[in-house]
Amino acid sequence: MGETMNLKPLGDSALLISFGEVIDEETNDRVHALAGAIEKAGFEWLVEVVPSYSSLAVIYDAKLIDFEGVRQAIERIEFSAEKFEGRLVEIPVLYGGKYGPDLEFVAEYNGLTPEEVIEIHSRPIYRVYFLGFLPGFAYLGRMDERIATPRLEKPRLKVPAGSVGIAGKQTGWYAIESPGGWRIIGRTPLRLFNPSKEQSTLVQPGDRVKFVPIGEDEFEELYKAEWGHEND
Amino acid sequence: MIELLRVPSLLTVQDSGRSGYRKLGVPVSGYMDDYSARIANHLVGNPGNAPLLEFLLMGPTLRFNASAVFAVAGDVDVKLNGAPVEPWASYWAKRGDVLEIGTLRSGLYGYIAFAGGIKCEPLLGSCSTYAKAGLGRPLKAGDVLNLGYAILTGKEGCRLPEELRPDYSAEEITVGVVLGPDLDHFTEEGVRMFLSEAYTITPESDRMGYRLDGRAIEHSEKGAGIVTSPLVPGTVQVPPNGKPIVMMRDAQTTGGYARIGVVASAHLHRLAQLRPGFKVRFREMSVEDARNEFLKKEKTLEAIRLFLGGRLRAYRIKAGEKSFIALAGNV
Repeated sequence: MGETMNLKPLGDSALLISFGEVIDEETNDRVHALAGAIEKAGFEWLVEVVPSYSSLAVIYDAKLIDFEGVRQAIERIEFSAEKFEGRLVEIPVLYGGKYGPDLEFVAEYNGLTPEEVIEIHSRPIYRVYFLGFLPGFAYLGRMDERIATPRLEKPRLKVPAGSVGIAGKQTGWYAIESPGGWRIIGRTPLRLFNPSKEQSTLVQPGDRVKFVPIGEDEFEELYKAEWGHEND
Repeated sequence: MIELLRVPSLLTVQDSGRSGYRKLGVPVSGYMDDYSARIANHLVGNPGNAPLLEFLLMGPTLRFNASAVFAVAGDVDVKLNGAPVEPWASYWAKRGDVLEIGTLRSGLYGYIAFAGGIKCEPLLGSCSTYAKAGLGRPLKAGDVLNLGYAILTGKEGCRLPEELRPDYSAEEITVGVVLGPDLDHFTEEGVRMFLSEAYTITPESDRMGYRLDGRAIEHSEKGAGIVTSPLVPGTVQVPPNGKPIVMMRDAQTTGGYARIGVVASAHLHRLAQLRPGFKVRFREMSVEDARNEFLKKEKTLEAIRLFLGGRLRAYRIKAGEKSFIALAGNV
């Protein structure tokens, strides 16, 4: 599978493996399959592997090896993208109301009812292409374009952790509280990023995600179990 | 135990940073100037990566609620109970002593190390502060920090010879850069511009990245956008306006702008210490040469550690106006 793999330095302590500048599931499968194979190979010089859409960075300890050495080690690795399969993670979401202040707008903008937006948003199984940008943020593919909505013109100063939103043709969540311009249509009571846990993010690169609409009672119950206090 | 009395500027706990969590979107973080921070730690007998305090420009005032050995790294006035003491040297402070650190005369980041290190509960394997994600927070007056145990270490009276102290006063520096990986997103002229012009650090610079100003770097027909791909500290991204951004320790793990190059890791601390308004030039460096620079810097830091631990001796060699330090001995 090595013929379309392009290996380049990303500075003096990282090597970038690229399968071309594309966003598709097949290429992303290869990224995660190779990332897994490198992690499992037990290289003592390996610091970590960072996957993305169609490329991955291999961070190495330059005290132990040079670029050429890493390149040769990577080229010898055998991996099969066919075998790659992520977990399916269900994410409960309370849509609309105070937790999804932009649901009405998204519906109106697209000539739909809020119920239709919820239906369209929660039906597909989304692939987690990779995590990046901020801790626990997932680059998800692909959202139904019938609910595509431009970002807010003026970003909110504070978007609560767990908020689920839409930005253009993209959907995703705020794993941690931060400023942001996404149209917020709902919120999950689950902690998407918890730094005090070793397994600190709810989803891992390569997983698949399904949003499951829930009611207010279930939200409050799950919230309390997850965060250890009532939602305020 | 130490208590912070006055915190005039950004003050955080840092160590060598986090690894293993970038695939979850968690930045590396850690000290901006690894050279100064590691020496500060070695001055008090700590391993280089022990948690210590990093201040931006203006140092804090603090009180020791128990005796401890400390050292300050930076071009700065330091007072212990009102009496001047030297930076780049370790001292013994008694219970009740007050340490007052002034404003850096040069450079941007200064360090205060304590024998035994600052005691903290590591989050995701590190004590480095990354407040955005709840990984620690900036410190404020009134905060109390516990120190780790330092039984066999914590030697006072260590001093770094002046010749070995980093000089961050230059208003223009040159750093090595390994070109790529997105060179096809730039014209030849764009790359030539990047390697020949001086770029100014703008005030819109922080631990996440340094935004530079200068002549715009021209993109090829492929444009400034790339399919989002990994970044490392030192990566130089060029957004559509052509003005480069150098990613620093708190940089996001992936980015969508074309990467023209990555600063040699051995040189990044000098860029980190460059003040807004000062200039940087980029010199092309092969990945092999950049690694050699890295190995050289590691060797220097190891020799300094051994010298401060009493295992190497320093010999001053005078050559006209200049003097050099050679560290030698059997180890």
